[in-house]
Amino acid sequence: MPYSAETFVGLIPEIIAAIFLLLVLMVGVFAERAAGLVSGITALGTVLIFASSAWLLASGFHGSFFGGGYVVDGFALYFKLVVAGSAFFASLAATRWAQGTGDATEYLTLILSVVLGALLLVSMRDLFGVFLALELATIPSYAMVAFDRSRRESAEGGMKYIITGAVASSVLLYGIVLIYGASSSANLSGVAKAFSSGHASPVALLGLILLLSGFAFKVSAAPFHFWTPDAYQGAPTSAAAFLSVAPKAATFAILLRILVEGMPGEARVWTAIAAVLAIVTMFTGNLFALRQSNVRRMLAYSSVAHSGYVLTAFAALQGGAKAEAVQAVMIYSAAYAAMNLGAFLVIDLVGEDTKSFNGLIRTRPMVAASMFLFMAALVGIPPLSGFWGKLWIIIAGTGSGSILTYVTVGVLVVNTVLSVPYYFGIVRNMIFEEPVAGTGETKGEGPLKFSVYALAIITVLFFIIIIPLAAVAGSSGLL
Amino acid sequence: MSVTLVWYLIVAAMMFAIGAWGAMIRRNAVVVFMCVELMINAVNLTLVAFSDYLPKAHGAGTGYAVLVIAIAAAEVAVGLAIVLAVFRTRRTVNIDEINSMKG
Repeated sequence: MPYSAETFVGLIPEIIAAIFLLLVLMVGVFAERAAGLVSGITALGTVLIFASSAWLLASGFHGSFFGGGYVVDGFALYFKLVVAGSAFFASLAATRWAQGTGDATEYLTLILSVVLGALLLVSMRDLFGVFLALELATIPSYAMVAFDRSRRESAEGGMKYIITGAVASSVLLYGIVLIYGASSSANLSGVAKAFSSGHASPVALLGLILLLSGFAFKVSAAPFHFWTPDAYQGAPTSAAAFLSVAPKAATFAILLRILVEGMPGEARVWTAIAAVLAIVTMFTGNLFALRQSNVRRMLAYSSVAHSGYVLTAFAALQGGAKAEAVQAVMIYSAAYAAMNLGAFLVIDLVGEDTKSFNGLIRTRPMVAASMFLFMAALVGIPPLSGFWGKLWIIIAGTGSGSILTYVTVGVLVVNTVLSVPYYFGIVRNMIFEEPVAGTGETKGEGPLKFSVYALAIITVLFFIIIIPLAAVAGSSGLL
Repeated sequence: MSVTLVWYLIVAAMMFAIGAWGAMIRRNAVVVFMCVELMINAVNLTLVAFSDYLPKAHGAGTGYAVLVIAIAAAEVAVGLAIVLAVFRTRRTVNIDEINSMKG
């Protein structure tokens, strides 16, 4: 029997996401001005997704459905938690802004469909399923970026994002199709057979390279990153915050699954590609971030740099450190989700110009303290969240036994130092500059401030969270 | 002379290259979307050819091709809506003139 009760249990998070997606849409139709109600429903939906994924994870659920094309294991459930958690804070933070536009329903529906796409994505074991779920997560995100009609940059950022994104999708799809042709199967276990011999056919290798280029676009790795700053600067802040975290974590997760489960035989090739991409990405992100005067654009380049850090863990997926490398990607995704989401949401509270942070410590000490924590965490100062992610990557890198990976880890350390000036430039502005007028509180900031403070607490308490997190990551089922 | 798999693959690769070339050099956003469509259709041709010629694939690729067509349509629908939004504020769809953000 192809569909048992177990199928439905395994799919509970996705089913909840789909139901709430429709519910939000319907409530929006019948209660047009109830933005608060709609965002409450969205937040409730994400909480339920989080709870059901946590329950599945705690009960050790493991299942493979739809002819082995869809798998629910610890690895997938972990990323479902990250996605649902960041969607919760993003939907709370979006409330005030979405109320102002009068299109709260549409905006929150888009958030939920990105969530649904990301939830499906992390569980896929079929390359065409991967493409389908990836597009389900990406196409709404184009609309989210272009959503702010009051600013011209929004539509411009959206256009740049969709043009590069559509080209990237077709490149990715070409890669998938070539791999399908070379292995006669789109299922990862079938693909693994074609790649297992150690000397894969040129068609398969071309497919692998195209696939990696397509994914590099999606995770904004240099030299495919150029859409990132424009898209994030143009997007509504809550959209930039959410899109830089949840879909990106899910994309890294599925890339990891494809490479580890589908192409272990060619690990030598793709770790080398990942190492080169990581080095270029880290330098590009940090060097461009240094020159920015717009905080949102600076954080966009910082997110490019952080993609480079995660790719370093991909480069370490060889030798004796494979398990640590998988854990590093998982832990870094969670750490990065908390700190980057928080930093973007502070921009929503304060403003996107560097000058609007001047003297914040005197006008709004709590917000300034949270921003200080996020900046310090993004640099990687212990014991904040970013430190643990970097620590795991360095541990994995040093155990990999490859010269190129050692170089990449060295570049990561150099780039951590490079990134200090621009993160702490904001801190300096907050402490030493005179406050500018008009940075006081505005109405309806409650949910947004709650999100910022909660994320700041998570960032600080990450050294406690890391213990269960490392345990879950260690028994993820991948490797 | 029979038409083999390689013929289809070469035609598709050429279509893909033409589409990619066009997406890079054309400055009109609508034309760029047409070029992206060409790229996606080239991929679809590859996909259908593979699923027809590879016995082990069981023809599953044809089903995937239908999915891909639907996704491409969704992508272009959102894309054209965004291009329209840009056109409303700026009266142009030339990519070189839409450059208020730099750095």
